[in-house]
Amino acid sequence: MVMACRVINNRRHVGLQQLLSFAETGRTFLGPVKSSKFIIDEESHESVLISSPVRLLESLDLTSAVGQLLNEAVQAHNDTYGTGTNTLLFFVGAWSSAVEECLHLGVPIPVIVSVMSEGLNSCSEEVVSLQVPIHNLFDHVDNTNTFSGFETPSVNLCPFLQIPSDTGLIQKDHELKDVSQSMTIYSLSGRPVKSCKLFRLQAKVEANKDASQTLQTLINSRLADTSCRKSILTHSRHFNSTDNNHWVSKPDGLEQPSAATSKTYSCNDLVELAVGLSHGDHSSMKLVEAAVRLQYQNACMQQGSCSLPFMFDVSRIFTCCLPGLPETSTCVCPGYITLASISSTALIKELKDQPVRVVLVQGDLTENYRHLGFNKSTNIKTVLESMKVNQDSTEELWAHHVLQILTQFNVHLVLARGNVSDHLNEKCVYSKRLVIGSVNGSVMQAFAEATGAVQVAYITQVNEDCVGNGVYVTFWRSVSVDVVDKKNRMAILLKTEGINLVTAVFTGPVTAQMQTKEDRFWTCASRLYYALKEQKVFIGGGAVEFLCLSHLQIIEEQSLKKGNQAYSGWLHNSSSWLASSLALYRPTVLKCLANGWHKYLSTLMYNTASYSSEFEASTFIQHHLRNAIDSGSPSSYILSEYSELNSGVFNSGISNKLEQIPRVYDIVTPKIEAWRRALDLVLLVLQTDSEIVTGHGHMQINSKESEGFLFL
Amino acid sequence: MSRLEAKKPSVCESKPLTRERLRTTLSVLKGIVASCYGPSGRLKQLHNGAGGHVCTTSQSSALLRGLSVTHPVLKILTTSMQNHVSCFSDCGLFMAILCCNLIEYVEGIDLAPTTVIELNKQLLSLCTSYLKSEACACRIPVDFSSTQILLCLVRSILTSKPACMLTGKEVDHISALVLRAFLLTIPEKAEDHIILGKSIIVPLKGQRVIDSTVLPGMLIETSEVQLMRTLPIKKSSALKVALFCVSLSGDFSDTGEGTLAVSYGVSLESAVLDQLLNLGRQLVWDHIDLVICQKVIHPSLKQFLSTHHVIAIDRVGVALMEPLSKMTVAVSSLLLCNRNDTAWDELKLTCQTALHVLQLTIKEPFVFLGGGCTETHLAAYVRHKTLNEPGSILKDVGYTQTELHLIAEAFCSALESLAGSLEHDGGEILTDMKYGHFWSVQSHSPPVANWPDLLSRCGCGLHSNQEELSWSFLRSTHHPFVPQNSLPHEAASSANNLTLDCFTAKLSGLQVAVETANLILDLAYVIEDKN
Repeated sequence: MVMACRVINNRRHVGLQQLLSFAETGRTFLGPVKSSKFIIDEESHESVLISSPVRLLESLDLTSAVGQLLNEAVQAHNDTYGTGTNTLLFFVGAWSSAVEECLHLGVPIPVIVSVMSEGLNSCSEEVVSLQVPIHNLFDHVDNTNTFSGFETPSVNLCPFLQIPSDTGLIQKDHELKDVSQSMTIYSLSGRPVKSCKLFRLQAKVEANKDASQTLQTLINSRLADTSCRKSILTHSRHFNSTDNNHWVSKPDGLEQPSAATSKTYSCNDLVELAVGLSHGDHSSMKLVEAAVRLQYQNACMQQGSCSLPFMFDVSRIFTCCLPGLPETSTCVCPGYITLASISSTALIKELKDQPVRVVLVQGDLTENYRHLGFNKSTNIKTVLESMKVNQDSTEELWAHHVLQILTQFNVHLVLARGNVSDHLNEKCVYSKRLVIGSVNGSVMQAFAEATGAVQVAYITQVNEDCVGNGVYVTFWRSVSVDVVDKKNRMAILLKTEGINLVTAVFTGPVTAQMQTKEDRFWTCASRLYYALKEQKVFIGGGAVEFLCLSHLQIIEEQSLKKGNQAYSGWLHNSSSWLASSLALYRPTVLKCLANGWHKYLSTLMYNTASYSSEFEASTFIQHHLRNAIDSGSPSSYILSEYSELNSGVFNSGISNKLEQIPRVYDIVTPKIEAWRRALDLVLLVLQTDSEIVTGHGHMQINSKESEGFLFL
Repeated sequence: MSRLEAKKPSVCESKPLTRERLRTTLSVLKGIVASCYGPSGRLKQLHNGAGGHVCTTSQSSALLRGLSVTHPVLKILTTSMQNHVSCFSDCGLFMAILCCNLIEYVEGIDLAPTTVIELNKQLLSLCTSYLKSEACACRIPVDFSSTQILLCLVRSILTSKPACMLTGKEVDHISALVLRAFLLTIPEKAEDHIILGKSIIVPLKGQRVIDSTVLPGMLIETSEVQLMRTLPIKKSSALKVALFCVSLSGDFSDTGEGTLAVSYGVSLESAVLDQLLNLGRQLVWDHIDLVICQKVIHPSLKQFLSTHHVIAIDRVGVALMEPLSKMTVAVSSLLLCNRNDTAWDELKLTCQTALHVLQLTIKEPFVFLGGGCTETHLAAYVRHKTLNEPGSILKDVGYTQTELHLIAEAFCSALESLAGSLEHDGGEILTDMKYGHFWSVQSHSPPVANWPDLLSRCGCGLHSNQEELSWSFLRSTHHPFVPQNSLPHEAASSANNLTLDCFTAKLSGLQVAVETANLILDLAYVIEDKN
């Protein structure tokens, strides 16, 4: 074996350029108004319609090392968070060109790496001030169906900060559900607030059950824990918080709100939250919201009084695509909707309206299936000793045996994760039993929980304890012909009381759009999931990015003035000459980093069609940036000017009346992690100076490419 | 009928070191390893060029996995490196660069290879005896009553691998975790000789680095379905465990060659299952609470055990078997997170190195000053000794002082050039004329510079520009001086943020480098079988 090695950062960094060109292809996906793309395979003439980076990268040829790293980063982010890949891809491009700019200006690579990395850290800490806590979202989930949350001033229920003396508090009091250990918490202003439920939901320190710990120390520790209490918000129409009295300057010049004067804005309405997180995709978000409501109702019914905090469980949502049906049939239903052969119509009619018993099979339901890890011996042969033996095939015998067991335990429904033998299927239909194969794992789990069934690997394992009860099988729609697809399959609905499973059904005349619809639904579901899980969201619509931009500009100006004292810990290797040259290069690198956010904002605004050119958008940003920095506190500037900034960025198709513009929200961790992943990837590629092709791969380096390769 | 083919004659190459082909490939290899060296080292993308996994790394062990060299001389080098890394985990690049340097710097010297080799050996023993002696000024004893030195050691290892993609805060977090994971492997009841437990690294990919954590004991992954079935465990006392390394999946043991004939109606599978269920009954009878199997447990056996309230966990994998059997000793699990696969792989390897280095440090409780200071200091020491006390070095061998000076100069240059490999961004290296430590400065500094204004700290961080020192460029000729002992040990061990290296690994790296270089220099012929 020979090995080849190529230097990739000779004059211009090849890797960075590759990243840039890959990222450029995803530019139009940014923002609520997305332009889809057709990707056409020139050989097979097949084409796909895509509108997300994940699908884009799936369809591109990514055999280059950098392309693979990019794909790996996007996939990993998507697998973990299910959203934020547009941001990730965009910043990969924006920061690749920022880094190239730094290289061009002669900044040493380790300096670029540490300043960019610590600059991003600093921004991530700064944007905490734009977090909005989510409170008691499900207290009025059943009676809120309008945008009422926007008209009334929000009520502050956070016990750790000053309570506005309005009547809202009293109104809210009776809404607080009876909680087992009721206690009084003193707010900082000394007013007792009965709000332990809230406290329980919110407190990070709840795990600390130390009895000696007083409430006051809990409160103090919450305040010391800077996150999410820092701020505040927002409605510029109701109060103006640019007033600098509210901010105390720390010695390093970074503003910190003084706790006593902070006012809290919180989001406590599911509709408002869902609309804010929809980012223009209302139809998908409506489905998600409906799914959340179904899960919530189910949870309440199961627990009686909803004593446990409700958790939105994305794994208990299942999707089913029915292309060909009219768009209006798209909906969310409790239970499991799947496709069954049209030949079982009669069977389903028969099973309708009566509870059936169910068995759950973890593997295939075929004669030759063996559990994972079982190795079949190949050299064993069965010898027939006499001719009088039954001539039936082994499959026939097996199917007969299975049917016997099903009959014995009076089972009329079998769900299998794997494939189902056709022969068995026929036999079962004949004896009025329905068998469904290829069932998703979490669907199986949901049925196991709701029916009491225990999943088995083989039918032979079935005993009375494994069988579940009370499943109802019906057609999804009363008229079954409605829902027959091209492969002669129809949609059926399996339901049982209290099952924690919701199916989202996607319909529409255009088959090519199905995948996109499903993807968008999952994106919205992930956003809402993270918002509910983290109990906080960012003020969206570019506010967070704008704050990063102004924050970087401020620390850039500060580092110009102060020189090396501050931020000396930004380089791991503090004894190298690079550490002493940090001060020289820091402003340049920070500026380049900030350019990434500037580019993001201007592209976002241009894509939403509010501006005819990116230049125009850029001017708008520049104008507000100056104002924000001059105001002394960019975060309060953003909060006070939010409506205007918001309308500048996100006014597409929601509402034209300023007062009616709903707030836009962003999720916290997936966003910050997308930035971090993007920067990590860029910096990883930046620090790479050569690629080593091992094994036989170098054979594919053709003569044209092989220029620059060294062979060992 | 078989056909006989005439064997190809073997190819014999004389004086391989003088050949252009070897020189080129050796310099490419040195280029690769030297450019990876240190905290600002450059990374390499290793991949197969056909869409396979991409590994981004600057670690010797990962590079070695991807490097496949053809030249026999290069093979000697990579094999030595491989052996060193498998024994000590750390200092692989150090060893490889030094070995290349030693070969390179004797190239122009007109001396017989035997002379070079013999003198190299003398210099090596001069170095090792100094480094092991109490007088050694570039090592610090480890004080186990505080975590300071050990944390600095782990930190230095983590920061020397930039492909881990850690920020300052994350380095602190992971260093603390690695040290905790290691401390948990030390048994509480220390007897005459301690048997260290194991630390297992559990992957949690895709999460934030800061979410990484350490747990005492072992973490075993199991499916959600299985977990639902086993929890909650009510028993308050310790569980009685049965551990199986054989498969309980119910397949037959190897029947060997040929075909096995079985009469119709006999089911081998059910016969085996019956045996498994007998085993299950015995386990229940023996009041076993937890059955762990390296491979697969038959679903029916699992069902049987679970109805008898025995927890069954299968497919734990071979990696966990050894620590599981040692559960009575000390075991810890390090749950390691990183954002992407390639950075996770690098971080895992680095943490393994750090854990290994901590083990080595317990055996030999010293650390070397890092950041190039040990190398420059050692070079200064060797220069001083060969100039002032040549007799003591030459006492057993019959070479002249001139020969010794030539080789010692090459030896010291190799060490200094190795230290210089830490610089990748055009900076220049200085050394102070008192301790012989390593200092770096931006290139094109004014010729008559006021050094204290430009320098902040030496490479290891022990000395600062505040002390009244004089400096000189490392490569320039300067008068040999007696490198002095640094600060008293107490002061050194309390200093913050020192860059430190593993004592055992570095000492071995030095020996392996010199011995391998000697071996290569000794080659007169390369005979290759071309069949």
